[in-house]
Amino acid sequence: MNASPPGSEPKYTGRVRVTSPLAAAPRHVRRSVREEIDESTGVGEVYMRSLIRSQFRAALTVVTTLALSLGALPIVFRLAHDVTTYRVWSIPLPWLILGAVAYPCLVVLGWLYVRQAERAERDFSELVETESGDISPETDRP
Amino acid sequence: MNTTYGVIAISVVAVATIGIGAFGLRVSRTTSDFYVASRSVRPWLNSSAIGGEYLSAASFLGVAGLVLASGADMLWYPIGWTTGYLLLLVFVAAPLRRSGAYTIPDFAQVRLQSERARQVATVLVVAVGWMYLMPQFQGAGLTVRTVTGAPGWVGSVVVATIVVVNVISGGMRSITFVQAFQYWLKLTALLVPLFFLLDAWTSDGRPSPVAPSDWIDPFTSTGATGLYLTYSVIAATFLGTMGLPHVVVRFYTNPDGHAARRTTLIVLALLGVFYLLPTIYGVLGRIYASDLVDSGRSDAVVLELPSRILGGTSGEVLAALLTAGAFAAFLSTSSGLTMAIAGVVGQGLARQTVGGRRLSGIASLRIAAACSVLVPLGLALAAERIAVANSVTFAFALAASTFCPLLVLGIWWRGLTARGAIIGLIGGGVGAGIGPIVTIIAAPSGWFGTVMSQPALWSVPLGFGLMIVGSLVTRGSIPRNVARTMVRLHTPERVAVDRRDR
Repeated sequence: MNASPPGSEPKYTGRVRVTSPLAAAPRHVRRSVREEIDESTGVGEVYMRSLIRSQFRAALTVVTTLALSLGALPIVFRLAHDVTTYRVWSIPLPWLILGAVAYPCLVVLGWLYVRQAERAERDFSELVETESGDISPETDRP
Repeated sequence: MNTTYGVIAISVVAVATIGIGAFGLRVSRTTSDFYVASRSVRPWLNSSAIGGEYLSAASFLGVAGLVLASGADMLWYPIGWTTGYLLLLVFVAAPLRRSGAYTIPDFAQVRLQSERARQVATVLVVAVGWMYLMPQFQGAGLTVRTVTGAPGWVGSVVVATIVVVNVISGGMRSITFVQAFQYWLKLTALLVPLFFLLDAWTSDGRPSPVAPSDWIDPFTSTGATGLYLTYSVIAATFLGTMGLPHVVVRFYTNPDGHAARRTTLIVLALLGVFYLLPTIYGVLGRIYASDLVDSGRSDAVVLELPSRILGGTSGEVLAALLTAGAFAAFLSTSSGLTMAIAGVVGQGLARQTVGGRRLSGIASLRIAAACSVLVPLGLALAAERIAVANSVTFAFALAASTFCPLLVLGIWWRGLTARGAIIGLIGGGVGAGIGPIVTIIAAPSGWFGTVMSQPALWSVPLGFGLMIVGSLVTRGSIPRNVARTMVRLHTPERVAVDRRDR
C-alpha cells in the first residue's frame, strides 16, 4: 500500500488486473490432530507430550501420596514410638492401620487415579476426534 | 489331623482344576488362545484370575506364619503385595496392554528394537519364575506332609504334574478359568473357617495374645536394622509386583487399555479383602498355637488352627477346607508362572528349527512348559526349606531391580536405549541375585548379612541408576521410532491413530 496522507484520494491511471499471487499453489489444507500425530509432526508431538505428561503427573500424585502416608509409617513408628502403644478397641494402632485400614485406602486411591486417567484420555480423544471430524481433508476439498 | 478329609480335599481341588482346564481345552484352538486367551477376557473374570494367580502359598500360608512368628513388622508383606498392584496400575497397566506384546521380552523388543535386550529379558523372566516356583513346590510338599504324613516330595511332584498337564492341554484360556475359580475358592477357604474360629475365640472369653512387646510393637528391639529391613521389603514388594512375569502376562489378556485399568482396580479390591484374613489367623495362632514357632513350623499355622481350637469333626472338615485352599494356592500360582515362563521360552523355541522344520507355536509352548517346571522342582526337592514368604521376597527383589526399571523407564522416558536397558537389567539382576546366593551359602551375620538378606533397597536404585546413566551415555542410539512407540503406548484405543511399527 502506498503511504499516502489520510484523506487524499488515490489516483487511478488505468485498469488493474486483480489476480491471486497464490493461484498456482495448493489450497491450504488444515490437517487433523490425528494426522499430525500419525505423521509425527511438531504439532502431533506437542499433543502426545501433553497427554503423556498429564498421565505421568497423575501417577506421580499417587506415588507422592503413598510415600507421605504408608511410606512414612515406619519412620513415624520409630521416631514417635508412643503412637504405637495407642489402642483403638484394644487393638494397637499399627496393627489396625497395617492390618485393616490401609486396604480400603489403597482401593480408593486407585479409583481416584483411574477416574483421573480416564478423564485425561477422554479429553485427548475428544480434542483429536472433533478436529478431525470438522475439517478432515475429505470434506474440505471440493 | 484326619488324613481322609485332607486327601479328599486335595483330590477334589486337583480334579476340579483339571476338569475346568479340560473345559478350556474345548474352546482353546489358536495360538493366540494359548498365549493370551485371544485377548477377550472381561475385567471381572480377568481380575478373579489375576487374584487367583497372585495369591500364592506365601499369601495363603506364609503371611499367617510370619505374623505368628514375628508380629507387627510382618504386616508389611501383605500391604506391599497389595500396593504393588496400585503402582502397577498407575505406571504400567494401560500402556503395557497397548504395547501389543505378549511378554516382557516382547515389550523390550517393541520398545528398544533390540534382539539382545530381548534375550537378556528372557533369561531374567526364567530366573524370576524359577525363584518363585521353587517355594510353591516346597509349600505343596509341606502341606501334603502336614495333612497326610506322606514324604515332602509327594506334594511337590503332584502339583508340578497337574500344572504341566493343565498348561499343555489348554494354555492361557483354560488357565484363566482355573485361576478365577481358585481365587474364590481361596477366599472361601479362609473366610468360612474364620467365622467358626472367631466364634470359638469369643466363647473362650476373647483372650489376648500373650507375646513379648517386640511382637506387638514395630521395631522395638531391632532398631535401625528393622527399619532397613522394612524399607527393603517395601521396595521389593511395591515395585516387584509389576515385574513378575505371571502378573505381566495377564495384562495382555485384556481387550484394551481401559479394561486393563478396570481389571487392576478390581484386583486391588479383591486383594484388599483377602489380605484382611491371614493376619487374623496369625494372631489367633499366637494365642492357641505359639508352640509352632519353637518347632519351626509356623507356616503350618493356618492348617493347624481348626483342629486346635475346635477339634472334633467340625475342626477336621474346616481343616480340609483350608487344605483345599492352600492346594489351590500352589496350583494357581504355579500354573501362572509355568505359563509365563513357557510363553517366553516357547517363543524362543518357535524361532528355532528342529530337524529341518520349524516347531509350531503350540508345540514349542508345550515343550517349554514341561521343561520349565523340572528345574525349580529339582531345586525344591534338593534345597533346604526357607520360610516360604522369605524366598518369595527374593523373587520380588529381582523383579523390582530389573523389570520395574525397564517398564517404568520404557513407558515414560523416551531416552531409554537398548544398551542402557541391558546394562541396567544385568546390574540390577546381579545385585538382587547376589543377595539370596550369599545368604543361602554363607549366611553372613551383622550388617552385611542384613543388607544381603533383603537386597531390594539398594539393588532397585542400582537397576534404575545404571539404566538411566547407560542410556544417557549411549544417547545417540535411541531407537528411531520411539515417538511412534510412545503414540502406541499412550493413545486411547478409541482414537484411530496409526499404530503400526515404522
